[in-house]
Amino acid sequence: MDLEQLRKTTAEVAARDDVKYLIGWEKGTYGYRVSPVFIENEADAEDLIFSPLCTSNLATYLTLVEKPPLPRGQKADIRKVALMVKGCDSRAVAQILVEKGIEREQIIVIGCPCPGVVDVDLLAAKYPEIAENTELKWSGEDFTLIRGGEEIPVKREEVLAEKCRLCRYPNPVISDITIGEPVKPWQTEEDPGVSEIEEKSVEERWEYWEEQFARCIRCYSCRNVCPLCYCEDCILDRLNPTWVNRAVNFSENTAFHIARAFHLAGRCVECGECERVCPVNIPLGRLNRKLAREVRGKYGFEPGLDPDGKPFQASYKPDDPEDFIL
Amino acid sequence: MSAVLLNKDKWPVFVGKLSGKVWVPKVEDGDAICFAPLSGGEAELPRFCNTRIPPKEIVFPETETLYRFKAGGYEIKAPQPDEKTVIVGIRPCDARAMKIVDSLFHWGVDDPYYLKRREMTTLVGLACSSPGPNCFCTSVGGGPASTEGLDVIMFDLNDYYLLEDITEKGKALLEEAEGLFEKAGDDALKQKDESISDAESKINRSVNVEGILEGLPGLWEDPLWKRVSASCLGCGTCTYLCPTCHCFDIQDETEGFEARRYRTWDSCMFEEYTRHASGHNPRPTRKERTRNRINHKYSYYVDKFDLIACVGCGRCINYCPVNIDIVDILRQVKEAL
Amino acid sequence: MKTSDNPYIPYLATIEDAWYETGGERCIKTFKVVIDNEEVRENWNHHPGQCAMIGVLGVGESMISISASPTEGQFLRFSVMRMGKVTQALHQLDPGDKMTIRGPYGNGFPLEEWEGKHILTIGGGIGQAPLRPIIEYVKTKGDKYAGLTVIYGARTSGDLCYKDEFAELSKCDDLSCHLTIDIEEEGWEHNVGFVPQMLLDLNPSPENKIAITCGPPIMIRFVLENLKKLGFADEQIYTTLENRMKCGIGKCGRCNVGNLYVCKDGPVFCYSVLKNVPEAFA
Repeated sequence: MDLEQLRKTTAEVAARDDVKYLIGWEKGTYGYRVSPVFIENEADAEDLIFSPLCTSNLATYLTLVEKPPLPRGQKADIRKVALMVKGCDSRAVAQILVEKGIEREQIIVIGCPCPGVVDVDLLAAKYPEIAENTELKWSGEDFTLIRGGEEIPVKREEVLAEKCRLCRYPNPVISDITIGEPVKPWQTEEDPGVSEIEEKSVEERWEYWEEQFARCIRCYSCRNVCPLCYCEDCILDRLNPTWVNRAVNFSENTAFHIARAFHLAGRCVECGECERVCPVNIPLGRLNRKLAREVRGKYGFEPGLDPDGKPFQASYKPDDPEDFIL
Repeated sequence: MSAVLLNKDKWPVFVGKLSGKVWVPKVEDGDAICFAPLSGGEAELPRFCNTRIPPKEIVFPETETLYRFKAGGYEIKAPQPDEKTVIVGIRPCDARAMKIVDSLFHWGVDDPYYLKRREMTTLVGLACSSPGPNCFCTSVGGGPASTEGLDVIMFDLNDYYLLEDITEKGKALLEEAEGLFEKAGDDALKQKDESISDAESKINRSVNVEGILEGLPGLWEDPLWKRVSASCLGCGTCTYLCPTCHCFDIQDETEGFEARRYRTWDSCMFEEYTRHASGHNPRPTRKERTRNRINHKYSYYVDKFDLIACVGCGRCINYCPVNIDIVDILRQVKEAL
Repeated sequence: MKTSDNPYIPYLATIEDAWYETGGERCIKTFKVVIDNEEVRENWNHHPGQCAMIGVLGVGESMISISASPTEGQFLRFSVMRMGKVTQALHQLDPGDKMTIRGPYGNGFPLEEWEGKHILTIGGGIGQAPLRPIIEYVKTKGDKYAGLTVIYGARTSGDLCYKDEFAELSKCDDLSCHLTIDIEEEGWEHNVGFVPQMLLDLNPSPENKIAITCGPPIMIRFVLENLKKLGFADEQIYTTLENRMKCGIGKCGRCNVGNLYVCKDGPVFCYSVLKNVPEAFA
């Protein structure tokens, strides 16, 4: 990744009069952390980075934006928002565009072809996280960890995020400006996490998910981080009527996760954010990728590839399978 | 206070002798998610830095029935917490947190559920030997071997645990297992002191809270709040995993003829937390909510109870999905003063 | 249900009378209720300005001002605007039905401290509910206060609460009562205009007065501004705040404005305190 090119390009974008801010990544406050950052002027582009630690999907900020009532006489700022995206993130942008969650001319997409990011927990397990800020770089197929002045080679296989092992779209599917050269897609395996669960009996599956969902503390970080969970009036927050009770127990937690998974069927772009942020390690990616697999297998549909395409639910074909309808 | 040694071989016997429900940290796949009731198979305390979910959930369950009634009826039955409980392996920061939260649950009217559980619970702490990268307990009045809130403190001295009783409750607990201990000699006590200073030296993060407590109100309109909350997702991770966060919601639930009113953790970072029935929200954006979270811990709670409602456990930093870092926020507060 | 030292357990009360004060989608219904348990009823002692958590089992609870003065008798009154889930359920209740009550909560107005002063209440809409007990209280203890002036307004005459009582009040010689509505209406004999403006027009002297205002936030803001214009000192001005509440006893955490918990430190605040609390009028 050419940081100079990144900073020059983003500085130019941030300087534009028609740009409100640019969302990118910067070094975090400690260890391996990277923070999403909102840049309003070109000078701040100096802090931007793109590295295997840039796990977060910034597309979520397109729909997370708050619109509090404006003081009388004040007009809404309708300038464009620029954002940096990896391949998976770009699919979220495309999907939001398909759903008309945002208008194409409201955004500038800065595409960053991505050779794969790391699972910070795996990295920290191997190279314990320290308070001091450290860097990780792509080097060839693998990574190089730079900390305390020392360069440590890290094998890709050891620390690559699970979603990246399965990634088929490392290059942005939508991009106004591309930084760096496209990367060559790699050989992916059939999602072993999902397959493992598919092989279980119904009872075993139930037992598996019961154990997972019972742990959920309902912090809603999975929902909030999800770029495609952007309903203005989420059924989880609805108390009148109460669809999902706020009581934290297996039954209500399951209702929550099933509702979310179904709402994402045919929409989830498999960016893995829900799984990454879960503070109690619930393998939510498996749940969402299972539904994605069903949609792909049964209907040949993959969301977030064509910003001008139709949403899954609106793409009915007369020969769609319907064997699951009782 | 007296110090005794427990050979680690005798660990299962020791925890087996404790009366009441014994909770220990549970480590799975190398990760300590939470405390769990002793299953009986534990040969020793697992190695862990700290659990993701603080043991506050034992005395302040995430969801707790306040009372039950029949749908359409008026007879109310309230459960009474009455289970004797021992939390073994609680870290000093989390025990301090309970002590801090006690003030709130005592304020004005006693909260019978929380306080009864606290009364029934004995805290057997484990001093920290390897603090995590974001521990900053020493900045907010704690330390790797702080005894505040603990009934017994344990130190890991390789083959042995050194145990000291702090309170009468702790003394009574040690008496339950009296025959298992050996006398702690000067060597062991010296080893203990070394382990404390070693742990203290491993704490890398710090905040100088001086000036922050008094200065926060003056920074109400400061641009820093917008900056530090810009990337906030508005989830409840920081508050749910915080050992001093104690806010809750009360809801009713009916299933058939059985109904209950319960309380459940709530988070000031959620939009609907302060939203009036009319739709008006006095804290309309994440900026106001983040400002409230920091102020509550470092200003309001100090005003009310003369205590900082933060023990420096680092969980909100460790598990924030977008690296919102309270140490960094406090640094920026300090700069803005 | 018996009394208990568990503050979360409510008392049961029976609705003796209930009537609509106003109409429309956000209508206001007043309940006159009597606590069932005799011992609790007799020991119940609230100050004007205090609140209670009233509710319906299976639905929830809402913090509502007690709009009856303790001087009126062993009953309570609540004026409830239909707004959310709980208030909708409360509106379904009729005389003979039961509601649950916890309280009284909050600090109430320092009426004893105000003895010897002239009391000026300035209310708008449902904001008259916490002010009503002041009027009742001062009326019965008339000799202890230098006088009573009541200003009350709403959008339309149909939105005014306690209409019959105001008709009576207007006839009293020892207090001055001023009603206003925002928009001109046929048959309306009183003032037309906003409450803050009416306050300015009446031009009350601040001397030996205590002004208490309660109403929509925007009204409170302008009333405060105008009281200052009239020369009222901060210490002479009181208001009540409301926020979302769940426990009512300072535990659940959500009702704070700055370092003040509305449920325990309030809901009554002197302006000299509130003006330093940045979140107070958010």
